[in-house]
Amino acid sequence: MIYLYDGSHEAFLTAFVRSYGDRDAFLTSTQCQLPLGLNVVTVPADPACAQKAKKRLLGFDARSMHDLDRILRSSQPDRDMVALRYFRLIAQKKRPVREMLALDAVIAADECMHRVAIEIHRLHGFVRFTETASGALYAPITPDHDIADLLLPHFRARLPQFPFAIHDVGRKKAAVYDGADSFVAPLESAEILLSADESAWQSLWKRYFNAVNIPSRERLKQQRGYLPVRYRKLMTEFGSPDETPFTP
Amino acid sequence: MISEEKLRILTESAKYDVSCSSSGSNRKNSGGIGNGKPAGCCHTFTPDGRCVSLLKILMSNDCVFNCRYCMSRSEADVPRVTATPEEICELTVDFYKRNYIEGLFLSSAVCVSPDYAMERLLLTVKKLRTEYGFHGYVHVKGIPHADEAIVRETAAYADRMSYNVELPSERSLKLLAPQKTKESLLAPMRNLAKQSRIFREEKRKGRFLPAGQTTQMIVGASPEADGQILRLTQSLYRNTGLKRVYYSSYVPVVHDSVLPDVPAGALREHRLYQADWLLRFYGFSVEEIVPEGENLATEYDPKCAWALRNLHLFPIEVNRAPLEMLLRVPGIGARSAYRITEARRYTALTFEHLKKMRVVLKRARHFLTANGKFYGSENERAVKGLLASGEAQTNAVQLSLFSNPETAFSALTGEL
Repeated sequence: MIYLYDGSHEAFLTAFVRSYGDRDAFLTSTQCQLPLGLNVVTVPADPACAQKAKKRLLGFDARSMHDLDRILRSSQPDRDMVALRYFRLIAQKKRPVREMLALDAVIAADECMHRVAIEIHRLHGFVRFTETASGALYAPITPDHDIADLLLPHFRARLPQFPFAIHDVGRKKAAVYDGADSFVAPLESAEILLSADESAWQSLWKRYFNAVNIPSRERLKQQRGYLPVRYRKLMTEFGSPDETPFTP
Repeated sequence: MISEEKLRILTESAKYDVSCSSSGSNRKNSGGIGNGKPAGCCHTFTPDGRCVSLLKILMSNDCVFNCRYCMSRSEADVPRVTATPEEICELTVDFYKRNYIEGLFLSSAVCVSPDYAMERLLLTVKKLRTEYGFHGYVHVKGIPHADEAIVRETAAYADRMSYNVELPSERSLKLLAPQKTKESLLAPMRNLAKQSRIFREEKRKGRFLPAGQTTQMIVGASPEADGQILRLTQSLYRNTGLKRVYYSSYVPVVHDSVLPDVPAGALREHRLYQADWLLRFYGFSVEEIVPEGENLATEYDPKCAWALRNLHLFPIEVNRAPLEMLLRVPGIGARSAYRITEARRYTALTFEHLKKMRVVLKRARHFLTANGKFYGSENERAVKGLLASGEAQTNAVQLSLFSNPETAFSALTGEL
């Protein structure tokens, strides 16, 4: 049987319970080519059922909901099945399984979570803020995984006096800190008025980036490995010197 | 705001300093801007493959010392500039706010006198911490021969300090950096280590170099062998409690009769770092890695070379070997060793499992059995051939009609 759900945690947990006895269950939240000959059911979120499942799973593994969150944020097409197999294993063993690193379900979940975690770590460094005329900071990002709001605590802790917005341009939403609270809001596009000094600082940064390089030791492959090309389009130092700053 | 030209000059003089890490400090934000991230954070990568984590800059490139290898030495004909503390502080805070950098790496040429240069560094860091409320990472370079009291006060504001050993022997130091002595570099390091120990023992308030000390050596400008360099490294880790030793393979930026004209290869630097990691994280001692007067093998990494010399210890059984021994298998790092020790508590591991767990088996299979099975080669010579890396680097140079054996040799080593 094919179980379609909307991608939320509650709906996943409901679908997880509904499909538990079904050995051929195929769980998905994305638009994909479905195989012939199987029945399709759409599983809406059932808060009571999800709550019960959550309580049971947390009893087996206190960090299970954290893992679920990470896996469902991934953009990997088979993330729903990765999560399903991982949680079935937890339910079956009735204990944390993350250390059973020779099992397929655990390896798949571990790799999926690792990819999300590594992107969070990378973006802590690669986010580029521009200062707006009001003094607030704005940063557009295009991450592979849905992690904009997971970047909030890091920047909130280090820039408590500056309101800022991290705009996931592809997913059309923004993680916002207004100086007191942080929240996620849908955001189609943003009109940014730059502060007076902004372009001078950007140009200083570009100058610094070019000066600190040692041209006789060029290692582009290594650079690409650490800083994949897809992140560069929104990074100040990779724009051409006279280019106007990015506005989505 | 600092001018672009000034920034360029001060950055280009600082860029050969290789220390880049921003890890080890968990300084909290107590009103103001910034905090420390214990794991460190890289903000961008330059085309030479190095990360930019800190704003690496000199206060001044106006030097009274005349170290032969340095582009800012007093005899050199280069434009001299000096930045003000305000310019540095402003630059740091504004770059940090835009998330360009993780903090400041502040160094200076010996401007006017060692005490004066050190005082300027202190003034800048103090201003940055107190007036600008900056709590991000700050790495300050120590100036040799500077007064101890100024250094100690600077350490109270910095996260990390470093004195560069520069050259791995006193003889080379005398020849290439005549104003620096071994004692002027090692004594302040020992002093700071002692202060730091007292600070911790007395559980005083505040922070004193939470990220410790590091140092740096230039490799290939003088004739010391890797064995000697690594012995110095080990003693710095064990006796002085340093966090990191950096190696900078020599790049000829200055032409001088006592300096080689050929850059030391990147491979030598790479091998030294590999050996350094073995010392710090893999439980090796330098005596196991390389004899004193010899260089590391270029065709094998140091761990692989050790394993090939000690084939009588292998193969080991992956399901029973202790962690210390797993870490000594070529190709198995800390991550793979952790995965193996966790996974084998639940099931007997086979080569299929190891492959799925992404343990790199290219080298490891010759040194491991998994569940009693061995997939490597039994023939010692075959193993050596299979594991030798194809890209052994040579310092070969095209000789000309006018080169004789002596000039060819001095092109590699200088006049030393």
